[in-house]
Amino acid sequence: MVNYILRRLAQAIPQLLLISLILFLLMQTFGDPIASLGRRTPPRPADRERLRRQLGLDQPVYMQYLVWLVGNDWMKIDMDGDGVAETPGKRLGVLRGDFGNSLISKRPVLKLITERIPNTLLLMVTAEIVIIIFSLVIGVYSAVEQYSFFDNLVTALSFVGYSMPIFLIALLSMYLFSLNFKEWGLPYLPTVGMFDPEVGRTPGQVALHMILPVFSLSVISIAGYSRYVRSSMLEILGLDYIRTARAKGLRDNLVVMRHALRNALLPFVTLVGLDIPFLLAGAVVTESIFGWPGTGRLFVERTAQSDFPVLMAILMMTAVAVVVFQLLTDIAYSYLDPRIRIE
Amino acid sequence: MTTTALSQPSSQPGDTGLIILNPWQLAWRRFRKHKMAVIALGGLILIFAYIWLGGLLFARGQCIPIHKYVTGEAYANCNDTSMKLKPPSGEHLFGTDTIGRDILARTIYGGQISLSIGIFAAVVEVIVGVLVGAISGYFGRWVDDILMRITEAMLIIPQLFLLIVLAKALGGKVPEIHIAGRTLSGSVIVIILVIGFTSWMYLARIVRANVLSLKELDYISASRALGVSDARIIFKHLLPNTIAPIIVSATLSVSGAILSEAYVSFLGLGVQTPTASWGNMLDSAVKYIQSAPWLWFFPGLLILLTVLCINFIGDGLRDALDPRSTRHI
Amino acid sequence: MKRNLYYLLSLVVLASMILAACGGATPAATEAPPAATEPPAATEPAATEPATAAATEPAATNPGTVIITFPQEPTTLNPLYAEQWFSTILTQFWLKGLWSFDPDGQPVPELATEVPSKENGGLSEDGLTLTIKLRDDVTWSDGEPITANDFVFTYDMYMADANIVSSRYPYEDYVTSVEAPDDQTVVVNFSAPFAGWLTGIFAYGAIPEHVLRPVFDSEGTLDTAEWNIAPTVGVGPFVFKEWESASHMIFEANPNWINPPKVEQIFIRMVDDAAQEVAILAGDTDIGVYLDYSQAEAINNSGKATFVVQPAGYDEGWYLNFNAETVHPALQDVNVRKAIALATDREKITQDLLGGQTEPPATFWDSTPPFGNPDLEPYPYDPEEAQRLLDEAGWVDSNGDGTRDKDGVELVLRYISNDRALRKDVKAVVQQMWAQVGIGAELKEYGDDFFNGYADGGPQPTGQYEIAEYSDNPDGFPDPDESATWLCSEVVGEDNPEGGNWQGYCNPELDELLNQQATETDPEARKQLYYQIAQILYDDVVWIGIWKDPDLWSVSNRLQGVRFSGATPFWNAHEWTISE
Repeated sequence: MVNYILRRLAQAIPQLLLISLILFLLMQTFGDPIASLGRRTPPRPADRERLRRQLGLDQPVYMQYLVWLVGNDWMKIDMDGDGVAETPGKRLGVLRGDFGNSLISKRPVLKLITERIPNTLLLMVTAEIVIIIFSLVIGVYSAVEQYSFFDNLVTALSFVGYSMPIFLIALLSMYLFSLNFKEWGLPYLPTVGMFDPEVGRTPGQVALHMILPVFSLSVISIAGYSRYVRSSMLEILGLDYIRTARAKGLRDNLVVMRHALRNALLPFVTLVGLDIPFLLAGAVVTESIFGWPGTGRLFVERTAQSDFPVLMAILMMTAVAVVVFQLLTDIAYSYLDPRIRIE
Repeated sequence: MTTTALSQPSSQPGDTGLIILNPWQLAWRRFRKHKMAVIALGGLILIFAYIWLGGLLFARGQCIPIHKYVTGEAYANCNDTSMKLKPPSGEHLFGTDTIGRDILARTIYGGQISLSIGIFAAVVEVIVGVLVGAISGYFGRWVDDILMRITEAMLIIPQLFLLIVLAKALGGKVPEIHIAGRTLSGSVIVIILVIGFTSWMYLARIVRANVLSLKELDYISASRALGVSDARIIFKHLLPNTIAPIIVSATLSVSGAILSEAYVSFLGLGVQTPTASWGNMLDSAVKYIQSAPWLWFFPGLLILLTVLCINFIGDGLRDALDPRSTRHI
Repeated sequence: MKRNLYYLLSLVVLASMILAACGGATPAATEAPPAATEPPAATEPAATEPATAAATEPAATNPGTVIITFPQEPTTLNPLYAEQWFSTILTQFWLKGLWSFDPDGQPVPELATEVPSKENGGLSEDGLTLTIKLRDDVTWSDGEPITANDFVFTYDMYMADANIVSSRYPYEDYVTSVEAPDDQTVVVNFSAPFAGWLTGIFAYGAIPEHVLRPVFDSEGTLDTAEWNIAPTVGVGPFVFKEWESASHMIFEANPNWINPPKVEQIFIRMVDDAAQEVAILAGDTDIGVYLDYSQAEAINNSGKATFVVQPAGYDEGWYLNFNAETVHPALQDVNVRKAIALATDREKITQDLLGGQTEPPATFWDSTPPFGNPDLEPYPYDPEEAQRLLDEAGWVDSNGDGTRDKDGVELVLRYISNDRALRKDVKAVVQQMWAQVGIGAELKEYGDDFFNGYADGGPQPTGQYEIAEYSDNPDGFPDPDESATWLCSEVVGEDNPEGGNWQGYCNPELDELLNQQATETDPEARKQLYYQIAQILYDDVVWIGIWKDPDLWSVSNRLQGVRFSGATPFWNAHEWTISE
């Protein structure tokens, strides 16, 4: 097992390096980060030149990538523009944990991201839990009560939910539950942000403000997964050994829960584990609309400003997270299904 | 798939009493059983008709500012700012947008774009995915290793992030194109490529898995021993037998691509005006959700219906072509 | 049979979508619930007691807190690093400078005892020395007195190579030294008379030396100073309290300021445009920032807030390409350029698309009083004259495709802008207007890379356009200086990639006037120079004004006393009050 884990991690490293190189190169085509400093007008030309030099953007691409990866404290850079490199660099590089400074705010990228990650995690983990619970409950109930009114209703809604763009769901729910409910005098949900300034950042406030974003994030996944659970369950419920158990007189609940469900869970586990990237992406749109201070929103904002140290950091962290989660899922899968052996 | 015989009473003298159906006919029968898929197929045909032929019927009218009677795309582009943001009426069945263009006409021509993006992106996906999967599965060893590492590498980054990065990198770099009497912004090509190149991975894996198992069949080894060229084996023997998941995947890719186009447009990186698409119509409606809901309702409804129909059809195809498959969504 | 239910149910869902749409489509004028019926505040400001009956709790009822929504978040609060407008406008709360500007663009002394001038000796006769007297009754929020040394330190930090400041203008160009002969006197020495000193020198105040010098000495730079994002030491009617990235920023009233504010707290929420709209209409914000013309009607009808327009020197204009190597040959003829202006009904555009909230300007300085030339009127809308000019210039439709041509070249102009929704709409409308006189348009949009420099292949400096549309104001508004855009020496190119003259326009007569105004410290004479400058640009059709582009704000009905200025919008924050 340990060997397997080590092997997987060892395989992941060149992949991550390759990804980082390709992404870095792609970002070179983004355009000038300096052009977007300031929302209304571009910076003065004299300042532009100085900024390019100070930010290290006048270096050739391969040099910039190298500095990003291993830092520049082992060489001297030219800070005053006279063409002579005299100041030692201060960056340690990604491999030593330094993701550089944001081109826009000049502040360390890592600090910026670690401020936001907890917010995104809060949203994602809650959404994941909601997705798992609801998918299982709805899926199992649908399978057991196949073709009942509930089943048909849920199937119809699932298809519709699965076919709508997430931002439409988010915007419509925001307008309906926040603005319109308020206008109609019904109890309503807050519009944006993580909490109400008047009240402060309390768990109650945060929970309240999380309702709409989590709802938007989970609707599509629940729609998809409940169908999946349903069909898995149906397939297993039709199998011989279930019929045998029933014939033997085991209570139905017992049959369903213990035997069918556990086996239906297997592929479901894999899917849920691999859902992490999708949630991260979904968070991008949801966070933007609901003004949730997370990394998804940061990504969109900084893309518009071509702030690629921040973008690279978010992407690489996401990549590492996905690799780790895939590994965890495979291990969990091997524990759940005795037929699977890890070699 | 092998041919299957179906026993039925024959109405012709001299018949043996057997009607042999080829796999496609069988599949069609199974497809027909899936009522929703059949209805969806009808729905999709209606949508197609609306988009490709509706222009002849609906896109015609007097364009007041230029004092001319126009038809077709010219009508969709006719803007009259004094008629802006009008709710649906007799003259403009779906209302008008922020500069007075007829929304019905724009959904027609925008639909052409959105559907074309969906179809062509799916084509790109299928081509890349099948090639990578087939080559990887067939040749094995280091070819397989490299291709699979690349595939996994691309899977590690969430698709939306990739979409954003690629759209920004390639955006604005492709010039206008003139096709079939329409002038399209180059961003259409960009979007097709971007969506196509970020979604092929799933298909590649499926194809590879199928090719790996098919590769071991006797007749394949025999063909290789006989010296049949690799390309021939792949394209004439292996791929046709793995066509089922390819078809299903391609179908679902179209709906996925249409949704992706909507996402990318919402983030401002999609099809650029003046070319309309359902996605960018939604994007420009964000500020008017409450005050002018017809701006988002009709493109949103069309996206929903189209994607819904395609998903149902995909579901039906899956049932029809691979009845053992348990992957129902 | 059961499966048919699916469709019915799908329709139910769609029906609910329709309901949602209908619920929203009722014109907001049906009822505007009077603010007085909102239940009274249930909590104290910034208290951390758990929310009760959370679902029905109304927002924004505390009389002491002014809520402002920002659709873009500042990335830093230190003015040395802040290029964004969203950051610099905040300095009026917590880092007052020597003077601020009122709605008419007149300076109002803050830290300075009076505004220097030649009359009171603050500005020397030769214009090379500026002497500013500081008030002696103002201290930093931590009690340390403000002295001239803070200003010298600020200048040093601007010029230090280790600091990646956003701009060294105008210190790099004009200032030779800054001295502090005594604690209350700041002396600035110029290399040449600098006309724009009023708005350029220490425009955003000074940074506290006693706090930041130790940081600079120990870390070698101010780039990563904690003070940049948590400036707890400042000087102004409010003091910085906290800033949670992507969420909010809080400033608390400073009772020790010369003019103590009447509200208790400023709370800034970071949201996006769609969310800001919802917040304004729901009455959840007191000040809406950087709005769109399209929002005016809904806001004014909501009964909760008012749409406010404040000129800030910005004009939306067309910058024509003069680079002979890259531009369409037609544009080299001034009559064609004139025809383009005459063929565009800019009045209709401002009426229909901007809700009549503004009007077309004649010159670049129409929004920078008093420098707008009163004798110049915006080019009229005269399509017949445009056609005549084009015919005379030899551009006729010889092949009957609807677009004029000459010598085999079609008159199709590249018309570019960034991707703001309003501009996209304007371009489509203009395209149709031009089509009527036979001018074709190729519309292109760019994201933020619309402003990419020459080195990055930006569309403007590399001349890939005929008409570029964007909104700009003079760099040092309310100072009118915009020389870098039209000086011959600033023409961008291979040998001058950082040049600011992206149109490639070079006119020696204009150059002379531009150089003259830069050193002309007599306001009346300078004004006359600008009249002449505008005349040249007008006659040569270098810049075509589309609309005056004021700042667009919304102010809630409960917030009183707000008077925005163009240069320093929040200059009178100490006068704001909240009425319930």
